[in-house]
Amino acid sequence: MRSSKMSRRMPACRLAVFTAAMIVAGSVAAADFPAIPPAPGPAPTLNVPTPTVQVLANGLQVVSVRRAGLPLVTAQLIVRSGGEMDPPPLAGLADLTANLLTKGAAGKSAPQIAAAAEALGGSLDAAAGWDESAVGITVTTPKLPQALSLLAEVVRQPDFSADELKRAQAQAIDDLRLLLSRPTALASLAASRGVFGDGAYGHSRGGTPASLARIGRGDVQRLHAALYRPDNAILVLAGDIAPAQAQQLAQASFGDWAKPATPLPARPVGKAASHVPAVLLIDQRGAGQAGVVAAYAAPPRSDDGYYVGTLANAVLGGSYSARLNEEIRIKRGLSYGANSRLQPLRDAGLWLAAAQTKNPSAAQVVELMLGEFKRLGGSRVGDDELAARKATLIGGYGRSLETTAGLAEQVGELAVYGVPLDEIGRYVAKVQAVTPKQIEKYADKHLAAGAATVVVAGDAAQFAADVRKAHPQAALLESTALDLDSPTLQPAAAAATR
Amino acid sequence: MLLRPAALLASFALWATLAAPPLAATELAIPPIQYQQRTLPNGLQVISVEDHASPNVAVQVWYHVGSKDDPQGRSGFAHLFEHLMFKSTKHMHAEQFDRLTEDVGGANNASTGDDVTNYFEVVPSNHLQTLLWAEAERLSNLNVDEANFKSERAVVQEEYRQSVLANPYGKLFNAIDPHSYTVHPYKRPTIGSIEDLDAATLPDVIAFHKTFYRPDNATLIVAGDFDPKQLDAWVDQYFGWIPKPAAPIPQVTAQEPKRKKNLRYTVTSETAPLPAVALTWLLPPASDTADRIPLQLAAALLSQGDSSRLYQSLVYRHQVAQQVGADADGRVGPGLFTAYAILASGHQPAEAEKLLHEEIIWLATQPIPAAELDKVKTQLLTGELKQRQTAQGLAFALGQAALIDGGAEHVNTDLAALQKVTEQDVHRVLQKYVTGARSVTIDYLPQAAKGATK
Repeated sequence: MRSSKMSRRMPACRLAVFTAAMIVAGSVAAADFPAIPPAPGPAPTLNVPTPTVQVLANGLQVVSVRRAGLPLVTAQLIVRSGGEMDPPPLAGLADLTANLLTKGAAGKSAPQIAAAAEALGGSLDAAAGWDESAVGITVTTPKLPQALSLLAEVVRQPDFSADELKRAQAQAIDDLRLLLSRPTALASLAASRGVFGDGAYGHSRGGTPASLARIGRGDVQRLHAALYRPDNAILVLAGDIAPAQAQQLAQASFGDWAKPATPLPARPVGKAASHVPAVLLIDQRGAGQAGVVAAYAAPPRSDDGYYVGTLANAVLGGSYSARLNEEIRIKRGLSYGANSRLQPLRDAGLWLAAAQTKNPSAAQVVELMLGEFKRLGGSRVGDDELAARKATLIGGYGRSLETTAGLAEQVGELAVYGVPLDEIGRYVAKVQAVTPKQIEKYADKHLAAGAATVVVAGDAAQFAADVRKAHPQAALLESTALDLDSPTLQPAAAAATR
Repeated sequence: MLLRPAALLASFALWATLAAPPLAATELAIPPIQYQQRTLPNGLQVISVEDHASPNVAVQVWYHVGSKDDPQGRSGFAHLFEHLMFKSTKHMHAEQFDRLTEDVGGANNASTGDDVTNYFEVVPSNHLQTLLWAEAERLSNLNVDEANFKSERAVVQEEYRQSVLANPYGKLFNAIDPHSYTVHPYKRPTIGSIEDLDAATLPDVIAFHKTFYRPDNATLIVAGDFDPKQLDAWVDQYFGWIPKPAAPIPQVTAQEPKRKKNLRYTVTSETAPLPAVALTWLLPPASDTADRIPLQLAAALLSQGDSSRLYQSLVYRHQVAQQVGADADGRVGPGLFTAYAILASGHQPAEAEKLLHEEIIWLATQPIPAAELDKVKTQLLTGELKQRQTAQGLAFALGQAALIDGGAEHVNTDLAALQKVTEQDVHRVLQKYVTGARSVTIDYLPQAAKGATK
């Protein structure tokens, strides 16, 4: 078992550590209550389990990682392709395909599959992300063999019946309506289009009402046939399971899954030129708040600076105490929360900051957000601040490995991007090695390389004029006219008349 | 009420065809949580459980005060106060809690409910002593200033806007308590209102702390990687000296009367894209274990997972709803059984309401297949096991048991009781509290916003 030591941060040593022997049990006087917090003891060691990888004859990669203790296992079947494979007019195809896997397979109807999975104590959850599609289940150890046969059935023999397709389309369209009524969700989708343009990551992964309606059964079957194949898949088993058992169960459920002779389809280009205005205001009349988003392009997952970027984002907006929340919420009370995320994908990446605020303060939040991006590339992060954010990242990482589902997710992500799996044990050391100088250079390089895309969605009557004081070129679009299928976000007719 | 047995039989058929599981829920052994419990002379309740699965420790302080205790004209105050507990104390500056948790690899948060306010942290286990000091400090020495009070109040108002105004169904869920209770202070929404938050003052904060934040009104829960002897010594040192005030702790005494008739309300939204409907019934206090557990099971039969009865009927077969849910919300005082549906495009609340009633009546009166009953038991037990993977999860399970469900021992005894629930139990509680009682119905209707932007 690989282990890595959690480093001990060195806060100013202000107080000797109390030992139990020094303390009289029972009450002490208020005057004896220490005025400064006791210093921490020696740091404990974080044990990170080592994954085991085996490849079946058909090319399926089987990854197992053990976390004994409670009799639970998470099983995830991951395909190394997701929403980026959606053909341009069919946004949402990969997600709809993943969703339909559990809606009828191998002679079982959708209700029967749900009943079977839930009788095992879990539920089969399927969705497409970028660069991956996954279906998974968490069950108690004795139920794992049955859960895996069910998983194999839905992945290998889905029906994709016309009835279920119709039902799933209607549900996805209603889901979208709900999603798009949330200001920050809408602004984030528009900002992604701004960053990735006409590239494969630029469209709405959940589709649009128009694109979903265009999807036919043949489209779903073609996507499944092209991408759901053993040499494009990973089976992750995390929890109370030994590698030999993982191998044996994988062989039983997936060993006879035939690998097609045809090559895998080429991967599309992730990012292309943007046709979205640099500052876009979306009017959602009556919105109770404005969603403010600023986004930049970022390097792909394979970039050498991956850990530097992880730290840069941690400083900017990766946690409660990071800069965006400090400036927008803690100091000024302008939002319930401001944050950022760095999303490095296979072929390109996205660095996106978001906050929701009352409509009249949207313009102020835009400036604060842009200012914090700029500060990151313009000045060096202090040692104390960096040490704190490293500890936050490392602590969060350790906690993510405490559950079987979290462990499966971490390992699955490494496997999807072809990162050697023992990287899971190197995370702490790699985070610790990042320097303030590296962060400044990283931010300067990637933030100076292109302009931000700023999107504000909300009740525009309350913020449009203020935003235009600093950004006179800001474009205004009615939310009802916004077309996420279009690289300009404008309806096709309106774009043509420009 | 007209039942349509043919359609309803579909859910029966689903379970009749499912082979009996090789391992029934009743055979799934869940090891009991081996917790320790003691009370300090000043009344502080301390519950702890060792678990060395990871090098972390969870520290939680649950105060027996919630939004039901909001002062008159100050709805939302208990929750606003919770935010202020992260501001300055005699020996800590504002946000120092973040320095002692996030900045050393831990995390913190807090939440306010109707009955309780809980503060919870998880830290690398070598920081346990520091956290115990800090929790004792803010219990005994809170010292918020005007500037911090005002900026945090603005944050809470943004929280209100985000959860109620900018969330398309926020207004609906925020309307459930006000329309479900007539007398009990549960009728005030936990988040409050912008006006009541504006009316709050710094002296209110001081008075609230003095009244409710006292050792005999708190439960300290520690779970994870620690040494029990060491923990006891630190708890005695940091919490033991805090005096127990002589004044009694105010208690809510209001009695919610039994509903005499069915009531109906309409709430409108400018941002919701689809209508919704919610139904509620009054429940006994959560400490009534004999009824609470079958009610929880009934809610799970109705709504947990895609094979649940409401999903199968409203979302799958009839396709009138886009989302459905049911919940047995047990509280210290009278709780609520709720069922709701967000409609699918082109459908109206009345269609969903009719089906919700049908499914509930069917469940309350007709045979429940053994395989289906076993399914929900397995789901609930597996869910419990998942929660117990982390120190924080163990501590939450203990807090819920100790403060809401009638005592810490319920963390273990309720699982045994769950396994014994029968079809007759489910029928009995649904007939008593739901089908044989009066409902409140809330129709939630989208309404176009006025005005245009140039």
